[in-house]
Amino acid sequence: MASTQHALLSPAELAYLHASLSLTPPIRPDGRAANQFRPLAAETGILPGTNGSARICFADGTEAIVGVKAEVERTRRGDGGREDGVEYVSSRLEGDFVEGVSSGEGAIAAVDEADRVGESEWVELSVEIPGARDDDAGTVFLAAMLAEALLAGGEFAKKLWINRRFHWKLYLDILLISPPLSYPLPLLSLTTHLALLATRLPRLKSEGDEDPFFDDDWAAAPYLYARKDGKATARPPVSLLVMAVGNNIIFDPSKEELAVADVALAVSVGEETATTTAAEADEAQQQQQPLGRNLRLLSVRTIDPPSRLTPPGVPNATNSAYGAATTQKQPEARAAESEAVEGVWKAPRGGAKALVMAALVQKALMRGGVADEVLDALDAVDLVA
Amino acid sequence: MPLDTSAYGLALLRVDGRRWNELRRMHVQIRTQAAADGSSYLEMGHTKVMCVVTGPSEPGPRRGGLGGTASGGGASSAQSKDAEVAVSIVVAGFSSVDRKRPGRGDKRILELQSTISSALAASLHTHLFPHSTISISLHVLSQDGSLLAALINAATLACVDAGIPMTDYVVACTAGSTSTYAANDEAADPLLDLNHQEEQELPGLTVATLGQSDRVAVLVCESRVQVSRLEGMLAVGVDGCKQVREILDRVVRDKGHRMLLEGTVERGVGLDDMEVD
Amino acid sequence: MTDRRRVNGPVGSTNPPVFEDEPEQEFGAQKGIRTRTPTATRKMYLKTGVTPSASGSAYLEIEASRKGAVSGLKLSCTVHGPRSLPRSTPFSPHIILSTHVKYAPFATKQRRGYIRDPTERDLGSHLETALRGAIIADRWPKSGVDIIISIVEGDHDRETSKSQGGEAWDMMNALSGCITVASAALADAGIDCVDTVAGGVAALVRDEGDDTTPRIVIDPIPSEHEQILAACCVAYLPDRDEITNLWFKGDLPASDMELYSQLVEKGIQASRNSNEVIVNSLLISTREQQPHERHDGTTRMHIAFNLQR
Repeated sequence: MASTQHALLSPAELAYLHASLSLTPPIRPDGRAANQFRPLAAETGILPGTNGSARICFADGTEAIVGVKAEVERTRRGDGGREDGVEYVSSRLEGDFVEGVSSGEGAIAAVDEADRVGESEWVELSVEIPGARDDDAGTVFLAAMLAEALLAGGEFAKKLWINRRFHWKLYLDILLISPPLSYPLPLLSLTTHLALLATRLPRLKSEGDEDPFFDDDWAAAPYLYARKDGKATARPPVSLLVMAVGNNIIFDPSKEELAVADVALAVSVGEETATTTAAEADEAQQQQQPLGRNLRLLSVRTIDPPSRLTPPGVPNATNSAYGAATTQKQPEARAAESEAVEGVWKAPRGGAKALVMAALVQKALMRGGVADEVLDALDAVDLVA
Repeated sequence: MPLDTSAYGLALLRVDGRRWNELRRMHVQIRTQAAADGSSYLEMGHTKVMCVVTGPSEPGPRRGGLGGTASGGGASSAQSKDAEVAVSIVVAGFSSVDRKRPGRGDKRILELQSTISSALAASLHTHLFPHSTISISLHVLSQDGSLLAALINAATLACVDAGIPMTDYVVACTAGSTSTYAANDEAADPLLDLNHQEEQELPGLTVATLGQSDRVAVLVCESRVQVSRLEGMLAVGVDGCKQVREILDRVVRDKGHRMLLEGTVERGVGLDDMEVD
Repeated sequence: MTDRRRVNGPVGSTNPPVFEDEPEQEFGAQKGIRTRTPTATRKMYLKTGVTPSASGSAYLEIEASRKGAVSGLKLSCTVHGPRSLPRSTPFSPHIILSTHVKYAPFATKQRRGYIRDPTERDLGSHLETALRGAIIADRWPKSGVDIIISIVEGDHDRETSKSQGGEAWDMMNALSGCITVASAALADAGIDCVDTVAGGVAALVRDEGDDTTPRIVIDPIPSEHEQILAACCVAYLPDRDEITNLWFKGDLPASDMELYSQLVEKGIQASRNSNEVIVNSLLISTREQQPHERHDGTTRMHIAFNLQR
C-alpha cells in the first residue's frame, strides 16, 4: 500500500472537497494556490557527527531529519564470485598498484576523468517512518523512489569514486520524526536534497591508486556537490508530488486533498551540471538570457491515490431511507453503480489519460514552473556543514 | 582505545575535564514540533534524542501484530482499564561514530523500550484513560553514553508537554566508578553522568527517580562492580537525578511562562495556584 | 533481514563457465544486436487456468531472443479470492488487494533468498497500483484477494557479465510481464475489471556503432544495446484509453517534453501488443471451458466485451 493512510472523511466531505478542488481556480482547504508549497523551515548541519545533515519542518508540523555518513570501502572488481572475489581482487590489485606506480603520474591523471565509474551499490538509502516497519511496502516504495532519482544517469555515484581501488560508501538515513500526517515524499525528498548539499567528504591527500589518505582538517573538506561562491553548481534531485482533480493540477497535496485525487504522480527533477562547451554556453547566453535552470526529468512514478479506497456515497434515489424501493435491490444496485450522481462521492475507477499524466509532468518541469520555484527556495537556505 | 584512568588520581579530572560530580551540559527544548501532542528535544553532552508523544488516543489498527511491534509495553490490551504506554525507539544509523544498520527487533532496543514503558506507566495516571494508547516515539540522533537516561528524560518532558497527568517527573542519570572492576580499588570514587568512553571501560549504572523524592523508578546495572562501591554510585546517581529534575523543571516553567506571555494558552484556574515565575 | 528458517546456499553467485572451444565468431555475433524492428515485441506464450487449486491463474513466457544464450522471462501468477477477510480486520467498502512478487531463488544470476527483498516489494507496489485501477473494487466489500506472482526465470543473458548495470532496467521488463500475467489471471478468476490491463515497456537507447543518435524501441533487452538512456513501463487499459500505472526512469532534458511523450506513447503501443495476447489467450481458454462453465459467466462476459472492440 503505497499511500493508503486513510483520511477519515465521509463521502459527503469527500464530495465537497472534490468539488471545491475542481473549481477554477481550485479552493484548497488550507487556502494555498494550486502550485504553492507548504511553507517550511529548514536547517542544515545539525549533527556534527555526520558528513552532512539537514532538518526540515513543514508548517503543518511534519518534520524530517536526514543524516549522511560516508565510509571508505574497497572497490570490488573482476567478474568472479563475491566471496572468492575478494582474494582475487586483492592479489590482482597489488599488481595493479605496482603497474600504476611504474607508469608514472601522467597515466594516472589520464585515467582519472575518463575511467571514473560509479556503481549504484555505493549508495545505501534507508527510510524510517514511525509506526511502519522498514520492509513495509510503502516505505520500500519511498526509498526506491528517492534512490532511483539520485542514481539516475550515474553521475552521483561517480562522485564517490576515490581511486581505482577504493570508493566512498554513502549511507543516507532518512528519518520522519513526526507521525506521517501527509504523504511524506516531498518532505523527505527536500530534506535529503539539503543534507546532500551540506555533505562534505574529507580532502584526499594520497595520489593515484594508493591506499587513500585524507586531510584531517574538516575546514578543508570539499563539498560533495562542488560550490562556487557559496552556491552549488550542481544539485541533487528533488521529487515533487503532483495530483490532478478534475481539470486542475495541484502541487504538494495534503492528506485530505490526496484522498480525492484522480491521479497522483511523483516527479523527480534534477538539475544538469553546467558542463557544456564554451561555444554552447555562449549560444545559450545569447539566445535565452534568463535561461534559469537546466532541468532534467529523472523519474516519474504513479502513486496509488488513496481515493480509490474511499467509501462511496449513496444517492437519495437508491437510499431506502428516502423511500427508494428496497425489494428488487440487486438489479437496481448494479444500475446505480455505474452512473454518477452530481454531488455524491464515488471513488474513481480506471486510470488516467496519457494526456493528463503528460500535463502533470509538463507543469512541474516547465520554465518558471514549480520545480524551478522549489529549487530557488532551497537555494535560499543557508548551508552549514 | 582504552580509557586512561591513571590521570584521574593526579588532578581529579575526568577525560572530558569534568569533576566527579559534574553533569555534562544539558540542552533541553520542549514543544519542538507543532503537529505532535507532545514533543521534546534533549541533549546530554553529545547524546541527542528527540521524543514525540501521540495520545492518549484510541488504539489504532494493530499494524505490527505479526511481530516487531512498536510497543514496548506490557501485555496490556485494548480491553485494559489503563492506558497502554507504547514506546518505540528508532536509533538513527548515523548516531554512532561508525554507521550501523539499525537492526529490526534488536533485543537491546526492545529492552530499552520496555524499561521506559514500565517506568513511565508507573508515573503517568494511566487509569484516567482506559482503552487508549499513549504512544511515545523516541529518535536517537547522536550517541555518547547515558542513552537510557537521556531517553527517559526526553520521554518525561514530552509527556509533560502532551499534558498527560503524572505524579512527578521521572528523571534519570548515570553513575559510575573511577576504576575498573578488575582494579579492585577500594578507594575508587563514584562518578556522575558517564560518557561513551567511560561507559565502555568503567562499571556504571543508570538510575531514575521519581522527582524530588528518593524513590527509585529504574535501576539498571549491566556491569560488574564490587558491592562496596554500589552504594556510593547509587547515592551519586540519585543526587544527579535531583540536578536533572531542576534543569527539566526550569525548562518546563520557562516554556509555560513564555506561552502565557505570548497568549498561546489562557491562564487556567489551576495555573494561578502554581508558582510560575 | 536474514532468513533463519531455511538452510540457505552460500551468498553471492558464480557464473557458469564459458568454455573457450566455443567458436569465436559466434560469440561475437551473439553480443547484443537487436534484430527485431523497433516496434516489435518479443513473442509471448500466455495460458490461463494452469493452477487448478487457485481461483485464477496464468502462466506467461516471453520468447528468448536467441537460442541458448538468453533465457526468456517466465512468470506464473495465481489469484486467490475474492474471499472474506479475517474477523479482526476493520470494515472495508472495497476489495483489499494484496500483491506479492517473488523471484525464484534460481531466477537470476544473483541468487535470491526466500524472503522478499526491496526490489521485489517495490515491484509488488507497482503491480498493486496497476491492478487497483483496473479492478472494480466496490463490487466486493469486506473481501480480499491475493495475487501471487513467481518469477520462475528472469530475463538474463548468460554471456554478459553481471556488472553491466542492466538489472535496474530488467525490473521494468519484469513489471510489464507481471502486469500482463496478473491481468490474465484476474480474468481467469472471474474478478470484474473495467478492462484487461496490460504492461508494456519502451526505452530510449543508444546503440553501438557509428550511428549514435538515440532511438526509441519497445520491449528492450538491456544487453542488446550499448546504453539505455531512459525507459518507461506503462500499464494501460486499451478500451478506456487510460493508464493505471506509469513508471519512468532515466535522464531526459526537461525542455524536451516531446521525447518523453513519445516514450510513453511507445509504451502504450507495447502494452496494446500484450493486450492482444491476453485477449486471444482468454478466448481460447473460454472456448475450451464452454461445455462445463467454471465461472458464473463473468469471464465470458469479459471476453465478449473485449471482442466488441
